[in-house]
Order: sequence, then structure tokens, then C-alpha cells
Amino acid sequence: MNRKKDKGFETPLFLNVLTCYVMFIPHTTHQVVCINNINFQRKSVIGFVELTIFPTVVNLNRIKLNSKQCRIYRVRVNDLEAPFIYNDPTLEVCHHESKQRNLNYFSSAYTAAVSAVDPDAGHGELVIKVPSELWKQGDEMNVLKVYIEFSLDQPKGGLHFVVPDVEGSMAERGAHVFSFGYQNSTRFWFPCVDSYSELCTWKLEFTVDASMVAVSCGDLVETVYTHDMRKKTFHYVLPIPTAASNISLSVGPFEILVEPYMHEVTHFCLPQLLPLLKHSMSYLHEIFEFYEEILTCRYPYSCFKTVFVDEAYVQVSSYASMSIFSTNLLHSAMIIDQTPLTRQCLAQALAQQFFGCFISRMSWADEWVLKGISGYIYGLYLKKTFGVNQYRHWIKEELDKMVEYELKMGGVLLHPTFGGGKDKDNPTPHLHFSIKHPHTLSWKYYKMFQCKAHLVMRLIENRISMEFMLQVFNKLLSLASTASSQKYQSHMWSQMLVSTHSFLKSISNVSGKDIGPLIKQWVDQSAVVKFFGSFAFNRKRNVLELEIRQDYTSSGTQKYVGPIKVTVQELDGSFNHTLQIEENSLKHDIPCHSKSRRNKKKKIPLMNGEEVDMDLSAMDADSPLLWIRIDPDMSILRKVEFEQADFMWQYQLRYERDVVAQEESILALEKFPTPASRLALTDILEQDQCFYKVRQGACFCLAKIANSMMSTWTGPPAMKSLFTRMFCCKSCPNIVKTNTFISFQSYFLQKTMPVAMAQLRDIQNLCPKDVLNFILDLIKYNDNRKNKFSDNYYRAELIDALTNSLTPAISISNEVRTVDNLNGDVRLILEEITRSLNMEKLLPSYRNTITVSCLRAIRMLQKNGHIPSDPSLFKSYAEYGHFVDVRVAALEAVVDYTRGMHRTSPSEVSRTHPIPYVVHKILSMLGKNPPFTKAAESPLCNEALVDQLWKLMNSGTSHDWRLRCDAVNLYYTLFGLTRPSCLPLPELGLVLNLKEKKAVLNPTIKPEQGPDTTEMTGITMGVHIPGLITMETVSSVSMSSGVAPPPQGLKRKLDSVVGPLGSSSPEPGQVLQEEDTSKKFKIRFNTVEEDEIDMESPHDSQAFIHHHLNILERPSTPGKEPPAVDQAVLSLPVTPLPSSFGKESTSSSKHSGDHHHHHHHHEHKKKKKKKHKHKHKHKHESKDKERDSHAFSNSPASGRSARSPSMSD
Amino acid sequence: MADPAVMAGGFSAIRSGCGKATSSPAENYQLARRRTLQVVVSSLLTECGFESAEKATVESLTEMIQSYISEVGRCAKAYCEHTARITPTLSDTVVTLNEMGFNVDTLPGYAKRSQRMVITAPPVTNAPVIPKALIAGQKRTHPSHIPSHFPEFPDPHTYIKTPTFREPVSDYQVVREKAASQRRDVERALTRFMAKTGETQSLFKDDVTAFPLIAERPSSIPYLSALLPSELELQTLEETDSSEQDDQTDSENTPVNNLNDDPGADKENSVLLAGSVVPLVKVSEESMIDNPYLRPVKKPKVRRKK
Repeated sequence: MNRKKDKGFETPLFLNVLTCYVMFIPHTTHQVVCINNINFQRKSVIGFVELTIFPTVVNLNRIKLNSKQCRIYRVRVNDLEAPFIYNDPTLEVCHHESKQRNLNYFSSAYTAAVSAVDPDAGHGELVIKVPSELWKQGDEMNVLKVYIEFSLDQPKGGLHFVVPDVEGSMAERGAHVFSFGYQNSTRFWFPCVDSYSELCTWKLEFTVDASMVAVSCGDLVETVYTHDMRKKTFHYVLPIPTAASNISLSVGPFEILVEPYMHEVTHFCLPQLLPLLKHSMSYLHEIFEFYEEILTCRYPYSCFKTVFVDEAYVQVSSYASMSIFSTNLLHSAMIIDQTPLTRQCLAQALAQQFFGCFISRMSWADEWVLKGISGYIYGLYLKKTFGVNQYRHWIKEELDKMVEYELKMGGVLLHPTFGGGKDKDNPTPHLHFSIKHPHTLSWKYYKMFQCKAHLVMRLIENRISMEFMLQVFNKLLSLASTASSQKYQSHMWSQMLVSTHSFLKSISNVSGKDIGPLIKQWVDQSAVVKFFGSFAFNRKRNVLELEIRQDYTSSGTQKYVGPIKVTVQELDGSFNHTLQIEENSLKHDIPCHSKSRRNKKKKIPLMNGEEVDMDLSAMDADSPLLWIRIDPDMSILRKVEFEQADFMWQYQLRYERDVVAQEESILALEKFPTPASRLALTDILEQDQCFYKVRQGACFCLAKIANSMMSTWTGPPAMKSLFTRMFCCKSCPNIVKTNTFISFQSYFLQKTMPVAMAQLRDIQNLCPKDVLNFILDLIKYNDNRKNKFSDNYYRAELIDALTNSLTPAISISNEVRTVDNLNGDVRLILEEITRSLNMEKLLPSYRNTITVSCLRAIRMLQKNGHIPSDPSLFKSYAEYGHFVDVRVAALEAVVDYTRGMHRTSPSEVSRTHPIPYVVHKILSMLGKNPPFTKAAESPLCNEALVDQLWKLMNSGTSHDWRLRCDAVNLYYTLFGLTRPSCLPLPELGLVLNLKEKKAVLNPTIKPEQGPDTTEMTGITMGVHIPGLITMETVSSVSMSSGVAPPPQGLKRKLDSVVGPLGSSSPEPGQVLQEEDTSKKFKIRFNTVEEDEIDMESPHDSQAFIHHHLNILERPSTPGKEPPAVDQAVLSLPVTPLPSSFGKESTSSSKHSGDHHHHHHHHEHKKKKKKKHKHKHKHKHESKDKERDSHAFSNSPASGRSARSPSMSD
Repeated sequence: MADPAVMAGGFSAIRSGCGKATSSPAENYQLARRRTLQVVVSSLLTECGFESAEKATVESLTEMIQSYISEVGRCAKAYCEHTARITPTLSDTVVTLNEMGFNVDTLPGYAKRSQRMVITAPPVTNAPVIPKALIAGQKRTHPSHIPSHFPEFPDPHTYIKTPTFREPVSDYQVVREKAASQRRDVERALTRFMAKTGETQSLFKDDVTAFPLIAERPSSIPYLSALLPSELELQTLEETDSSEQDDQTDSENTPVNNLNDDPGADKENSVLLAGSVVPLVKVSEESMIDNPYLRPVKKPKVRRKK
């Protein structure tokens, strides 16, 4: 819709201007943004911008700006009307519905489209012709003032409106709006030069309802009522040169809290949340102090604002002098678990204020410096606040995450350099997207990119010392703040932009050290290092022969040459050795310091100087080696797989004081299920001084070991007696103490232990009865009355424990899941879950954690075949109007269900109110847990799905870079880089008349009945209800006759539309198909159910086969519910309606009749091109049918035809 | 034990006296009481070592003691009426005194102090006729340190413990057991009731009544219920907080009302929908903090036309 209207503004006069292209980059020095009307009811915004442009070239005749979505009314340059052209190539990446369907093709087209409007290269969507009267002025380099009036109507990106549907005025309803976006996305809400490197000063004016507050960047100069006193105007001035991409806005009836320690800091939250805001923000000033102290630099802006909004795009987003947070970060003093998370988010936001907002980047290739520095100083904050253990744990976690990603997906390149040739020298050929622009990047990749950036900063710190590091930061900041106070004409502003080059230069200036090799290895080059280590002890020479091999051939790996630190703990102490990894040397001889002498009783010195007594009986009598660690400081971005004996891992776990080493040994001990490992883990669990996350890890490891040792395990189930000793009453050991949660370490342990215990299995592979009863008792006796903390997370984890205890149901053949044949234990579990879930309705817990756990538990019950698999419950919880965590959990269940049931439809739930975050979650969850992959055959993999997904990435997600990249990712996961295999080869001949097929089948309403029918048939399967058989018979008759007229009821409205358009009348074949499918829906669901039985409960395979035989006899037609991956897109005006469901299509035709209109002629052309594709598909189907009647659900036919309404104009 | 009971009796007498201020005998009676109080104040002053006092001082002290005693009486009366009785008992008075910040335990010691002065009986006036109440049991006589003109002990049943129940089980395990199952029963009953009376969702298609789930209801502002602590949690928080507070403020004589007011007000703030966006910063702070968002909104400039 937008697109169309925008096109209406095109002035044909200027087409010729495009042809004479002159490269120029004008500089904006000042920009005024004035939004004088924000209408919450209509979700629209009206305003104007005025850019003061300093032409750097003579004869500036065209100005290019970025603008998306905005409807532009008029443009004036120095008070003269100026014509303009608006063209956004990213709206539709591949034009004219190409048949390519090939991700390589798409990616290059997308990259080209993004490049075409890249502000860094001087491009933009909006091209303004400077009136010729002003050309001469260009000679004198006069300043141009470009005035643009624009409006936004129901923006899909850039600005997000939250308008709760309740009574009252907008302020009473808590309606608010805020800007959002991934990377530079300001162009979505006002025309600008949307680049991080284009700095200018700002004047921002927002006129809002008198009951609202407009929070934006810079200093609030004054607030003035309008003449009718109904509105007020907020005047902001931002004198510090800032990139447009760092400008934001949020408007709402916010409650205001002035930071008591720093009056220039103001917090804003939605109505009623002030008490939470007060508590959550009580800590902020300490973060301020910390950063200002380490950077020896004042916070660069004169004020800071935090705004907490609902339906936030990301948890934290930082803009110049303000940050927008998700309101879900707020918590009361009773909440334990959220507190550190919220503080971490605050710290991240604040770190980005210095590096990211104040100091911006020169180009996209320099992004890593900013992300790296802000991540690094955030790490320093973590270390100071949460301790060294937490910090090292975090570094290890980040490193592992990143290494895993790189090994799986190929390397992450921090500083890409692009040569002149466009696609030839792609630095990352292994990726299915281009890393040339932030907007083409997969979200996951970008996260790993940030992760790697701060890890590399840490490596630099290791190299040049923290002191120098902080000096470099200080230097960058002080240069920038000097520059910021200068006038534009002084050409100093570029000092506020950081580039890789300038950063490295200041490092070498400050430290005098050459970090070239390091940068080359980790920044200019992607991938990580993979080490394999093993050793032998040579007793004669008293030498440790260490062998370190590298894998540098598999994807995501690189060769490392250079020093590596190895720490050897011997009887006489701990010794560091620096080995040189060279081209061909694998073996390294390390002389040992101590002779083996286990008889002498002596304390053993550790690395940290501590001396401890050890029981040395476990170790090898001949060797003085206790344990060996490779690269203990994580100073290489690597994965180490090291082999040492089990007792060495046990010593390492018990006595090495580094949490990283402890976690590594816990991981390694999983492979050594011995009583000694058990003892070591139990000891760690009991040790109060041990870091709580290590102890949590030990719990899960112990559970795994116990399962491996099942036959030899003695005593009560693992951890039970421990738990009893720690958390139960002395007098009555079966009753847990009333909660206090004063010691957070024990709190976390208390939460984790039951979850880990529930993973225990007995010989029948069931959760031991003891353990289950124990967990049930914990729930029963849980008493939080005397506790000043909330126990919601604890109770949620107890539900998780119940979930963990579930095992697949043993069912007798033919059995359908009913209440009566519910297993006794499962009945108890289910009772707890229903009660907890019901109690949540009456007394909701913080962030509805318990609901989330209950939903997961119910899905697990379904998955294990205890209760009938049915997504309707989850679908209702996934609806708009539930807390976002609940929605995401419910969607996860639906996605999981899709995988199990081979049906797709999760996205439809977010159709009515698309919240960017939720849609993003759906797509990424689908990507993580795909219903099928390119490797596997699946009935879902059909052309309809390909088309829908293609449309989603091609045009459906043009309003949100992140979503588009998510869609690309999903497409990649499902179909790979090349043309999806389910599509017919494009070379095959045409069978023209079959094209109508597309238009024929619309299983109106039927698919919606799907779940119920499934259930029905599922139950009746064994009984063979006569009615069902009749149905089948009827349909089989109609199939064989092949000429039965289509039942009236099934005729779609669109038939009539099809008639005149299509060149040929409907074929008998297609009529038949329509008929069949409609009749056959039930049968089809039969199979779906069968599939599920097959997958989920192997026990009733006999019954399963029996049914299959049954089904094989039934004549059947392809029928399958069309996947609706992109239902979410329905509401997007720019998307051609992908109405795959009958219901959908009817509803959409009702609601959005004009949408139809808009798309009709658009689609028309595409349709024609598609013709030939369809007909050979028909052949495929018939083959399918013959080949495997059971696979009829796989046939693309019904799926394709189902979506036809949208295609038929 | 006995002494506060006496006081209670005394206060109630005063209070009932106050009630009938219209008739002239009652006025006389009050005057007499007032005079007695003056005597009491004077004797207390003497006891404290004062040799003389100005009349005005004595007057105001008398006024204070009178209003204190009246307040005790009023409160005790309120307490007793709250429990559907008409005559305040010892416990009412004790609670009242506690509420007013008076440590009752110190009272017996004070009453028995050695240097106390015995005050003569107030001049007998025509005391208002008190309707006879049903007498149950033998009233106790005054112990030696209570002047005989003080009101008599109330009926013994008002202060003597009469056990009419069995000793509660105090075994920890049983108590926990009981609390747990009680809570579970309540929860189950409540959720079942809600499920029966409202819409439900079901996990089984064959038996919709088994394991009914209360149907989810989308809320327009889902984050409010998810983030704000529930009333129950607030209550526990208050309890734990106020128990801590009690320890600190016990020595100060915090008036009853204040303790109740603060949390109540807070709760109101958080529960009530804040209609306006007026900054919720206190006026006193506002003058000190210079924050642009707290500054008053300016009036628009007069149009140029004029």
C-alpha cells in the first residue's frame, strides 16, 4: 500500500536525471526534525525535516537521502519547490516474480539492492533535484536547506505503536510509540542520511498530547503548550554531532523518575510501573561511576534518559543520550533471577553510550571496534560487579558459543575488506548471505560478530595490558569530545568516528607494541582454531611429551602459528610453559620439575600460591603430573579437545581454582562414569566456596554419570541425600525447609538440583519413582510465606523438573491417549501442572515463569505420547495479549509440533498484531528447529512453501532488516543455497492447461478443522466408524469417475474471478482434485496422526503398520495442509496476500478488500510467468501418488492449489 | 496481670462518664474526675521532685493525661466492639496500650513502686447510675497497691483463661504437613471452582472434565500482571518488612495510624491507574532538582496578530 502511494509521487520529469549520474557526497551539518502530529488511533505520524546541507562539490544538482515507508508530500530546497524521485529497491528484491527461487540469486540481488541505497556510498531512496535556480549558488558553496514534509501511516518498521485495546484515553490506556530498528534504520521514520558516519547537530520537536511525554535525544530545552492547551511541544537540542542512525524517539504517558544521585539522568516507564522502576534503577549510578572511572572521562552527553517500553524490538537499544529498554526488564525487590540480568542490560546500554553513540563508526567494516570496545568495558564491569569467576565463566561461555557457531556455519569476519570487483572477491563465500552490509547479515551472525569483537578486544588487552587499553579508549574519547564542541567548518567532526585504522594507530602510539599479527589473525581473517591435545609421560627423561594437533581444513577453522601457553600442575607445583606452535612441529617436550614421589607427605602448591593436601592414591605412581591445561587463559580463539586420564580431570575439578578449568573437567568427566568421578562431583557440590555455576554444572554431570553407572550405582538416587542434607529439615528429612533464599548460591543450587535429578533413569529407562515422589514432595511442601523473595523461578524449575522426568509412554497397540489409560505417575504430574497453570490465572507469577514451564511440560507430555498431541492450547497462548515470554514458549511448542506433525502454521498467530520481536522469534525458532532440512525428505517441502517463504523474504519483510534476514536464514535451513529440490526443474516442458490448477483448489475452512479431525480420526481409527468409511468410499468413487461436479459448498468465491482470467476452462482433472481433496481431508489427517505415532512412540509400531495397511487400501488424493509460514505477513500491505487457508482468504477478502485490489494487477504478470512451471508439477504429483500412496500427504498439489486464491486475479 | 485490668476498668468508667456529658450530675461528675486528675498530676510532679508548678502547666498536663486516658478508653472500646462485645476486657486494653506504644510489661512494676503517693478518693458526687450487668463468678478484691476507690475487678471470665479446645499439635512435621495439604486443598478447590464456573480448555478430547485448564484470557496490557507483584506477594513483603520495622520502631511511640497509612498509600499508588502524567516526585524535592522534565510547561506565546 505504501509502496503504491509512494509511487504516486514519482515525477516522471526526473527519469532523465537518473541517467546522468554524478557522484557526490554532500554533508549535512544540521537537521531539524519536527513531528507535529502523532495519532495513536490511526497509528500515523505527520511532520517535516529540514536538513542543512553543505555541498562539497560545485554544481550540486541532486541530493540523495534515505527514506523508507514515508509518504513525502513536498520537498523544498531553499524555499523553492523541488521535484524528487522515490525508489526503494529493497521493497521487492527480485523483481518480476522470477522463477529462480535460488538463494544465491536472491542474496546477490538483495546485496545489490541494499548497496543501491547505501548512504555510506552516497546513495539513497529519495533523490531530490536541486532547482536550477540554485545551481549557480553552488559555485559559491552556499548552504542548502532541504525541507521535506512527510507522513507515516501505520508504519511496519522504524516506529512501533503499542495501543492496548482498553477503555479510556490514549494516556490512560498506556498507549505509546517508540522508534526501533536493526542498525541504521532511522530512514524508516524520517528522511535523513541514514549513516553512522554522517554526523550533524540536531533540533528535534515533537508535539504530543498534553498527557504524554516525548523522550528523545539531546537536551530538553523547553516544553510549550499549543494554543488550545491540549497538546504540548517538546523541544530538544542536540549540539553534539550525531549520526541520524543514533536518533530515537519514544512517546507515551510515561511516569517520570529523576535519578536521585544524578539529577541529569531521568527514567521513564509505563503507568503503574513506577515502584518497579525505582527499584530497578537504584543501581544505575554505580555503573556510571564505574565507566567514568575506568575511562577517566565524563559521560559525554549532558543528560541521559532511559525509557522502558512494551513490545520492545530488542532488550536494549542505545541512542544518543538515551536508551530504550524492554519494560520486561523491570522487577521488584522480590525477584532474584532478573536482577543481575537487568543490571547487565543497563551496563551494556551505558557502555554503548560511550562507544557506539558518542563515538560512531567510519564505515560498516569498522563496526567491530565499537562493538568490541563496548563489549570489553562491559566485561570489565562484569568482572568488578559479579566477580572474577562470573567474568571468566562469561568469557568461556562466549568463546564456546562463538567457536561452535564458526565451526558450524563457517567463520565470522570482523573486518571485511572489499575489493573493487563486486561479487568476485567475496571474503565469506561460505555464508549464504553477504556481509557487505549490516542489513544483509543474519541476526545470529551479528550476535556472534559482537561476541567475537569483544573477545578480540580482550586478546588485544592481553597483548598490550589493560592500562594501555584504557588509555587508548580515553584518547579516543577525549579526541572526540574536543571535536564535538567544534563547528562543522573546522572539519574536526571526523574525530568522532572511529575506524579500524585509527584505532590500531592509537594502540601503537600508546603502547608502542605491534599487534599486527594478532589483528591479521583474528580481525582480517575469519574462523577459529581447533586443537587436539594428548600427551605421554616419558619416565626416563622425566619429560612430558605433549602433542598438539590442529584441524585447519574443516570449515570455520584456520591455522594458528605462534605461542601457546600450557599449564602443568605437578606434585611440586604449577608451571607455565609457553610453546611455539609452528608449521610442522606437533610434539613438544616439556621437562618436568618434580620426580614422582607420592609417598612423601607434603602439601602441593597450586597456581594461586595456595597449598593443599591431596589424596594422591588415585594417580599414576610413575608420573608427577596432576593435570595439564592448554591455553588456560583463553588467549586464542580456539576449541581445545584434550585427552588426559580420568583421575587427572578429577584432580583438576577438585583442586584447580579456575572456574574455567573446573567447567572443562566437568564436561570431560561425563565420559568417565566411575565412582571416583561421582565422588569428585559430589564433593564439588558440597563445597560452599565453589562457584555456583560450576556446582550447577556438576549437578547435570552427576545425573549423566549416574545414568551411565545405572547397574553399579549404590545408595539413594544421586543428589537426593545431598539435597536432603542441604535444604530439608533436620527433624523430618522428607520435608523441605521453608524458603528463605538468603544465600543466593544455595538458592541457585536448590533450583538446579531437582531439575538435574529428574534426568536420572532406572534400568527400564524411567525416572525412578523415588525421584519423582521427591520432586512432588518439594512442590507440595514448598512454603514461601516467610520469604522476602519470590519463589516463582524456583517453582518454575520444579515444573521443569517434572518435565525432565517424563519418558515416552508405553502404549498398547491401537491405544489412543485417553484419560483412563493415563499412567499413574503421569496423572500426578499432570495434576500438578494443571493446578499450577490454573493458579497462575489467579495469582500470576513474575514474568509468568510458571506458565512458561507448564506449557513446556504439556508439550513434553504430548510429545511423549501421554496425552493427545494437539497444538490448539499453544495456539491460544500464542495469541496477542499474553505476556511475551508465554507467547514465545507457546510458539516454541507449536514449532515443535510442526516438526512432529509435519505441518506448519505457527506464524499465523502473530498475524493480527505483528510484534517485530515475536515474528523474529518465530522465524528463528523455525530455523533452529526446522520442520525439515535440505537433507531430509519431507511432505512439507513443496512449492507452496517455497513460494511463501520466497515472497516473505522478497517483499514481505522489507520493513525490517532483521526479519528479512531471518527469513533468508530459514529458507537456507530448509532448502539450502540452490533451487529447492521440491521444485520442478525449470527446463521441463509446458503443459499449458494445467496452470488453472493453481486456481482451483481452495479447501475452504477444511484445514482449519484439521486438528479436530485429526483427533476424531485418531480415535476412530481402530473402530472404523461406518461414517468414515462411507466418506472414503464416496470420495474414491468420485475419484475413479473423475468427472464428478465440484460440490457447491466448496466452490470458492474466487472461482468466478478465475473464470474470465484464465484462458481455458477448468479441467476435469482439477475439478476432480478439488473434490477429492475436500472429501479426503479426514483421511489425510489420519496419516498425519499415523506419522506422529510412528515418531513418538515406537512401541505401537505394530498397530501403526496395521493402520498403514488399512490406509493403503483407501484410495486417496494428495491432501495436506498448506504451510503458512508467512501468515504473519498477511497484514503487511506490501505483501501479496499469501492466503493459503480458505479461512484466511475469505477473511482477508472481507477485511482488506482493497488489498486485493492493489495486488491484482501486480500479481497478474507474475502469474502468467508462472504458468509453465505449474504444469509439469502435475506430472510429479501423479508419480508421487503411484509411488507411495502413503506419501500422498507429501504431494505439493494440494498445497499449491490451496494458495491459489492469492494468485488468481 | 491484675493491674492493667484495673486500669481497664478505670478507663472504661471514665469513658462512660464522658459519654453522658449533657446532664448536670454528669458534669459534676466530670469536674470531680478532672480535679482528681489534677491531683494525680500534681502528685506525679511531686514524685518527680518538683516543688511547685504553674497552674497553666498543671492544666495542660492534666489535659494531656486526660486525652491519653480517653484515647485508651476509646480504643479499647473500639476493640471490644470489634469483637462483638460491649465491655472492654483486659486484652482489649493491653492491645490498645501496645498499639499506643506503651510497654505493658512495665506497668506492674510501676504500680508497685515504693515512693508512690496514695491519692485520696475523689469527692463523692452523684455518680451516674451504671446499669447492673449480669454478675458471673466471684470478683477479686483489690491487691494492696490499688486504692480501694478504684473500680472493682471485672468478672473473672473476662480475664481468666478457660481452655475449651485441645492443645494444638505443635509437632513440626505435622504442622508442615497440614499447612501443605491445606494449601493444596484450597488451591485445588479454588481452581476447580474457577474452572467449573468459567471457560476451560482441555487436554483430552474424550473427557473434557478431566484436568480442566482455566481458559487463558488475553489481556490488553499483559505486562502489568506479569511484572507487578501480586497482592499476595505484596502482603508477604509487607509482613516481612513490617516485622523488621517493628523491631526498630518499637521504642518510639509511633501512632497507630501512621503504621497503617504508609503501605496503604503505596499500594494505592501502584494499583490505581495513574490517569495523568504528573511527575510523581514530591513537591519538596521538585524545588531542589533541576530536571527539564519536571519544569512546568510553558504557556504558548501570544499570537502576533494582536
